Amino acid sequence: MTADRRLPSLPVGMRPLVSSLFAILAAFVAGGVFLALRGKDPLAAYAILFSRGLGTSYGIVETLIRMAPLLIVAVGLLISLRAGVWNIGIDGQLLVGALFSGVVAAEVVGRVPDPVMWVVAAGAGFLGGVLWAAVPGLLRVRWGLNESITTLMMNYVAINVTAWLVKGPVKDPAVVPPQTTLIPQENRLPDLFGSGVHIGLIGGLVVAALVAVLFRSTVLGFMLDVVGKNRQAAVHAGMPVGRLTILALLLSGGFAGLAGANDVLGVKGLFQGNWNPGYGFAAFALVYLARLNSLWIIPFAYFISFLAIGGEMMARPLAIPTSYVEMLDGLMLLFFAVAVFLERVFAPAVRGGATAAEPNPEVEAGPSPALAGEPLAQGGIGGEPVVIGGRQGR
Amino acid sequence: MNFGDAGLAAFLGAMLAAGLVAAVPLLLASLGEAVAERAGLLNLGIEGMMLAGAFFGFLAGYLTGSAAAGVAAGIVSGLALGLVFGLLAITLQVDQVLVGLAITIFGGGLTAFLYRDIFDRQNPSADVAPATLAIPVLRDLPVVGPALFDRQVLFYAAFALVPLFAFVLARTRFGLDVRAVGEAPFAADAAGIDVARVRYLAIAIGGAMAGFAGAFLAVADLKIFQVGMTVGQGFIALAIAMVGRWNPWRILVAAVLFGMLRSLGNGLQILGVDVRTEFITMLPYVGIMLALVLLAGRTALPAALGVPYARGRR
Repeated sequence: MTADRRLPSLPVGMRPLVSSLFAILAAFVAGGVFLALRGKDPLAAYAILFSRGLGTSYGIVETLIRMAPLLIVAVGLLISLRAGVWNIGIDGQLLVGALFSGVVAAEVVGRVPDPVMWVVAAGAGFLGGVLWAAVPGLLRVRWGLNESITTLMMNYVAINVTAWLVKGPVKDPAVVPPQTTLIPQENRLPDLFGSGVHIGLIGGLVVAALVAVLFRSTVLGFMLDVVGKNRQAAVHAGMPVGRLTILALLLSGGFAGLAGANDVLGVKGLFQGNWNPGYGFAAFALVYLARLNSLWIIPFAYFISFLAIGGEMMARPLAIPTSYVEMLDGLMLLFFAVAVFLERVFAPAVRGGATAAEPNPEVEAGPSPALAGEPLAQGGIGGEPVVIGGRQGR
Repeated sequence: MNFGDAGLAAFLGAMLAAGLVAAVPLLLASLGEAVAERAGLLNLGIEGMMLAGAFFGFLAGYLTGSAAAGVAAGIVSGLALGLVFGLLAITLQVDQVLVGLAITIFGGGLTAFLYRDIFDRQNPSADVAPATLAIPVLRDLPVVGPALFDRQVLFYAAFALVPLFAFVLARTRFGLDVRAVGEAPFAADAAGIDVARVRYLAIAIGGAMAGFAGAFLAVADLKIFQVGMTVGQGFIALAIAMVGRWNPWRILVAAVLFGMLRSLGNGLQILGVDVRTEFITMLPYVGIMLALVLLAGRTALPAALGVPYARGRR
């Protein structure tokens, strides 16, 4: 790297974060202009945002609670984006997963020990997300349909299907509003040391750690990266590109469903019609700001969560609609795009001229087993089907 | 239900009218998107552009009481976001899906923020009266008369754009350039076509048409704005452009079909058919996936769709 003279103090691994910081700062400035145009004092707004969001125990607790589903969703999105798959259907997969887990949890609660119930309901949520992602996956592999459009369409289908299910077939008959049976508070995910933050956050961190391992030390992760970076190279190397693509999409959907289960088991205790947290778009900002890096998504999940919570906290005193944060998410992505361009201009091309917004993921990732000359027959994690010997051709 | 002949005709006419009105935003947005896709630009920002067109169109209509001002504001705001797309995806060569998503998120957030901030839960409607035009003689035809020939001027304008787009794409130098930069930007460049300029024009048209579509929805049709009121119609329009294989006439057919599908619920309710509204609401989204499946393999995407063009790099 010859970029050393400009950023002498930053270790190489941290350098991509400069672009993210630029995107965040620029978005705050641009967002401040919108606030000023509406006759509000942006500095006062940001003062409240930061002081209450970062500096009050309520802000921190709420941020940590919101961080769990964001982190889990981001893990899924990371897998798909690293594999070059545009899963924009996070929100729909999350809804289906939440519905599945709400139904299953209500069914088994009280009959089994709570931890068993949590695991079963979380598994149901994951399964729901996988099933919902399987449709665009099938359409992509069987008919070659671009998943960015089909996953988007599946979001709207999910909203309607879950709304219908919760009004009829899986509705709690004992109450009027369309919702599944409420899980009693004492059976839900417990607090961490009485902090008010439920243990879903630990689940999120574990999932993030697993995906870091996946991309840093498994053949499966390596192959997903190759497919994402250079599909043709992956084909020529004999990797099962179609199956890897599907797998990335299914895992991505599964984690979105798991995030839905997290909210049902930890926060809401049920699935409600019209509930749609819409984490998907925020997760895109999150994952890109983290430069598709499996460890950086953890602090950025905290940051994006803090923005949402802080935005709610600043809404009331200053009469700033909470959708301001949504706009900020969009602005951060737009300026991130600019930053990626600036990076390309100011830093010499790394390898043969990067073409798109694909930043260099896992900058500090160790050598992959495949590169280190180890046999490729180790398989993936979690018993996922991995064709052994990625280079043996077909 | 029991219709007399006159009642049945009125019902069918109303169904047809509702379907056609619902088709207009889809038609407008997908005509614009057809030009953009032909030029090699996959515009996922179309949803945000429609929302911007709807909000700023509504705002201008609300403030001035003029539907024309509303539509103009909608077109301009869509155009502005189109140019942002162009700047990022054409000049800066950032991935088009990322740029499109960013614009959709930004457009949704911006319009929600401004609407809630300005109108603070009052949810007013714009007091606009878009000009209407009743075509003599034709308007007296049974069933189709009132549905087709006694409508707003904007309604006719939308359908009149179909032959215009067909002509421009198929028979003008600009249309040829658009197709050239979408299929073979290197060859087009070598032939002296300014690839970036053609693509900018294409996305400007795409953005303006998306803004027009949003403005039609908010100003001409509903006369209100709602947060997220486009509910994915932008994405459907994007798919309609593909289903119609970038041919304005086929796009017209597809848009009308999906417009009918969107307004089917009301008709069934009037008929007293007991169908869950959720199933009706999701029909267009399921339908567009089915349509894409049916046409899969028979439609070749423009070769350079989604690929940024940089001179001297292949």
